[in-house]
Amino acid sequence: MPLQEKIRSKKFVVLAEMDPPKGADFGTLLKHANLSRGRVDAFLIPEMANAVLKASSLGACAFFQKEGIETIMQVCCRDRNRLALQADILAAGGLGIRNLMVVQGEDITYGDHPQARTVNDLGLIELVETVQKLREGKDLAGIELRGAPDFCVGTTMDISVSGGLLDIELENLEKKIAHGVEFVVTNPVFDLRRFQQFLKRIEKTKIAVIPTVLLLKSAGMARYIDRNIRGISIPSEIIRGIQKAPDKVQECINIAGDTIVRIKEMGMQGVLITTAGWEDKIPLILNRAKI
Amino acid sequence: MIVAKKKPVEEIIEEVKNYEKILVVGCNECVTVCEAGGKKEVAVLASALRMYFMNQGKDIRLDEVTLERQCDHEYLEEIRNIIDQYDAVISLACGVGVQFMAEKYFSTPILPGVDTCFMGAAEERGVWSERCQGCGHCILARTGGICPVSRCAKRLFNGPCGGSTKGHCEIDKDLVCGWQLIIDRLKELGRLEDYEIIAPIKDWSTERAGGPRKVVREDVRQ
Repeated sequence: MPLQEKIRSKKFVVLAEMDPPKGADFGTLLKHANLSRGRVDAFLIPEMANAVLKASSLGACAFFQKEGIETIMQVCCRDRNRLALQADILAAGGLGIRNLMVVQGEDITYGDHPQARTVNDLGLIELVETVQKLREGKDLAGIELRGAPDFCVGTTMDISVSGGLLDIELENLEKKIAHGVEFVVTNPVFDLRRFQQFLKRIEKTKIAVIPTVLLLKSAGMARYIDRNIRGISIPSEIIRGIQKAPDKVQECINIAGDTIVRIKEMGMQGVLITTAGWEDKIPLILNRAKI
Repeated sequence: MIVAKKKPVEEIIEEVKNYEKILVVGCNECVTVCEAGGKKEVAVLASALRMYFMNQGKDIRLDEVTLERQCDHEYLEEIRNIIDQYDAVISLACGVGVQFMAEKYFSTPILPGVDTCFMGAAEERGVWSERCQGCGHCILARTGGICPVSRCAKRLFNGPCGGSTKGHCEIDKDLVCGWQLIIDRLKELGRLEDYEIIAPIKDWSTERAGGPRKVVREDVRQ
């Protein structure tokens, strides 16, 4: 069943992130995707995450399309102006790519080309609005398109915020919903109690909330993320669990798999698995989660 | 100088129509030179607004003052004692002045009265044109003193695009091709061989990547 249909019929969806290579060799990408093919509803293809140069999301999606694998193409405000963004979105529609995820994009200074010129011609909300216009058959100049693209549109939601920032995030969520967004992907979730508190503020009937499950690789990585990455908090018992485990990689896989199980039990609409380079471990996580 | 142009008075009216005590603040620096926000323009705008409110049958208070600069604490302080008498201020300074005043007088709405355009020069009375985009790393020494960032429509660094005709830009026949200017000047300076040097790919990190910029001079800091 296509992702859009599954989301609309409120079925649990499994998404997995597949980062395009820094290079023109797509062999490993396909190898990794094939490992979990059939068990994942769609692969999310990041568009130069963290502003690090990689092959484009459109390119990798087109590649997977040829292989009969469903993808979610990311479109990012950072590197393209409204012409380039619309052109890529139309191309994606023409190629048969059925899902889009709209992101702002991390600042260029975080990446490996800090000398590049940031574009940000459109912001996240405007890009979401642009996609809606294109789906309705017109471009941003109001000119009629020869064939409107159709997508299931998603975007991001920051669940780490509180207070006034949370109010802004929720207001923005309303704007996104009003512009036809059907799902939102959250930042990585480890502390499910905290996540549940956040969910109380969202009307889940209006939009599919898909939490991200990040595969940790070591206790050191977990500690680093907890201390330094804004928006992700990792309970100390998880970090201690990895430290004590005889097989640390297996423990990390177990943590991810068990988190998916609990997310499913919470009645969430799906999950996004992200492995930061360990895409070959996705089937093992799915095994643990009994998916 | 920073070049600005007057906002249409209708736009300003739209922003201030619900206020009753308004202060119009001019700036004696760049916007005075480019005749957009100096003492004279403050008087013209104030008259237009008074006329508008009179026609609306609304009795309002509208005062005028022009500061030496609005991008400096020292001069902005001059209105501290009177700012509470107004429920809105129209600043005719550039965007810098409007924001700096808003930071200082946090609870008073500070509204812009001009559109800030660019850093430029007065070519002749009534004509100002762009010369600098503040990219943060000046290469004028290599380009005959003419900036390809601000003068070339495509911001090219290695010669003209091929679209210029008789020394004019393809996007506007009245616009001189920036690279024509550069080449003419290099010729004049006897440095045409500089044109042969391939300019490196521009590092834009000094321009805007990384957010709003700041210059800190420890040697002059107090």
